[in-house]
Amino acid sequence: MAHQAHSYHMVDPSPWPIFGAAAALLTTSGLIMWFHYSSTTLLTMGLLSMLLVMLQWWRDVVRESTFQGHHTPTVQKGLRYGMILFITSEAFFFLGFFWAFFHSSLAPTPELGGQWPPTGVKPLNPLEVPLLNTAILLASGVTVTWAHHSITEGNRKQAIHALTLTILLGFYFTALQAMEYHEASFSIADSVYGSTFFVATGFHGLHVIIGSSFLTVCLLRLIKFHFTPNHHFGFEAAAWYWHFVDIIWLFLYMSMYWWGSC
Amino acid sequence: MGERPCGPRGRSPARSPSGPAAQGRLLWAGLHPPLLWAAPRLPRATRAIRPPRPRPSAPPLPLPPPPPPEALIAAAAAMASRLLRVGAALRLLPAATARAAPARHFAAPGDLATDEEQATGLERKVMEAMNKGLDPYSMFRPKRYAGTKEDPNLVPSITDKRIVGCVCEEDNSCVIWFWLHKGEAQRCPSCGSHYKLIPHELPH
Repeated sequence: MAHQAHSYHMVDPSPWPIFGAAAALLTTSGLIMWFHYSSTTLLTMGLLSMLLVMLQWWRDVVRESTFQGHHTPTVQKGLRYGMILFITSEAFFFLGFFWAFFHSSLAPTPELGGQWPPTGVKPLNPLEVPLLNTAILLASGVTVTWAHHSITEGNRKQAIHALTLTILLGFYFTALQAMEYHEASFSIADSVYGSTFFVATGFHGLHVIIGSSFLTVCLLRLIKFHFTPNHHFGFEAAAWYWHFVDIIWLFLYMSMYWWGSC
Repeated sequence: MGERPCGPRGRSPARSPSGPAAQGRLLWAGLHPPLLWAAPRLPRATRAIRPPRPRPSAPPLPLPPPPPPEALIAAAAAMASRLLRVGAALRLLPAATARAAPARHFAAPGDLATDEEQATGLERKVMEAMNKGLDPYSMFRPKRYAGTKEDPNLVPSITDKRIVGCVCEEDNSCVIWFWLHKGEAQRCPSCGSHYKLIPHELPH
C-alpha cells in the first residue's frame, strides 16, 4: 500500500491518455478522408481505437476504485466537480446549436420564403411521436431516481428493476427517434431548417446512446455488487448525465418541434 | 523570530521505491523490458465480490407503512444535498466519536453490501479513521485552539517539522508562513499565537 499522508489518488502510470490522443487523431483525420476522399479506413481505425481506450481506461478506474479502494471521499469530491464541469461544457455545446437555430428561425431570409418553417417544409407534428418521446424521457427520469433511492436504501432487487426500466425507456426513445428520422419528409439537406433540426436532434440522440451505455455499465456493476448505499458515484454520474439529456430534449422539443413548427 | 532556516535539519525521510505504485513508476521508466506499464491488477487476496455473508437470525421485516409526505420531502431534500456532498465526510469529525456511524451495520442477505463490509484500501482506512474521530490524512480544517502558552495550537506532523500558515485575524489576506520544528512551542511572528509540533507515525 502506498505510504501517503494525504487522501488523494496519485494515479499509476497509464498508457490510455496518449493512446486516446492517438485515437482522436485517427478519428479526426479519418473524418477528413471520409468526407473528401470517400475512404473509411482511417475512420474505422480511429473509432475502434477510441472504443478500446474507453473500455480499458474506465475498466482501470473501476479497478482502482471498487477493488483497490483509492476513491476516498476527497477523490470522490473531485470526481463530482469533474462530472459537473463536463456536463456544463456539454450544455454549452448544445447552446451553440440552439443559437444557430434561433439565428435562422427568428428572422427567416427570403431564400426560405420569409417564413419558418421554410416554404415547402412540412415539419413533424409535435403532438405525435415527439410528445411520446417527451413522456418516455420524463418517465426515465423518474425511474432513474427510483433506482437511486433504492441504492441508498440498499435494496438491490428494486434498484436493478428500476435501472433496467430506465435503460429500456432509453432504447425505446432511440428506436422511435430512428423511425422518425426515417419517416420524416425532410432531410438534413433541406435548407437551414434541415441542418439545424438534424444536427441538434442528431447530437442529442448520440448523447442518449452515450447515456444509455453509461447506465448499462452501471447496471452491470450494480448486479455485481460494486455499489454500496453510501458510495456509488459512478451511478450518480450516469444519473446526472441522463437528467441532462432529458433537459436538453425538453428544450429541443419546446423550441424546434413545438415553436418551430407553428 | 519564529522562523529558522531549514538547513541541515530539513531532510525529508528517504523514500525507497516500494509497493505497486512505485513499481509502476519503475516499470514506466522502462526498467522492466517485457511490460510497458503496470495496469492496476486485481489484488489476489482481495475479497471476492459476492453477495454479503448471510447474517444469522435476521427476522423477516414486515412491509413498512407508506412514508408520510414530510418524510418524502425530507428524502428528496436529502438526495438533493448529495449533489456535492462528500459522502460520509460531512459528518462532523468531533461528533463522529459520539455516535456510531450509520454505515456501520451489516446488510441483509440479497441487499447491497455496505461500506463497512466492502470498502478496501485507502478508502477503508479513511472510513475507519473518521469513525474513530481521527483525521490522519488532513482532510478537514485544523482544530482550533486558544493559541496561548497553556493551550497551544497542536500541529500534527509525520516528520520533525511542518509549515504553518497563520491567519492571525479573521479575513486576513496576508498569511504568515513559517516552519514549525519539533520541540518547544513556537510563536507566530506576527500575532504571537503559540504552535506546537506533534510528531506522529505515518498512517499505514
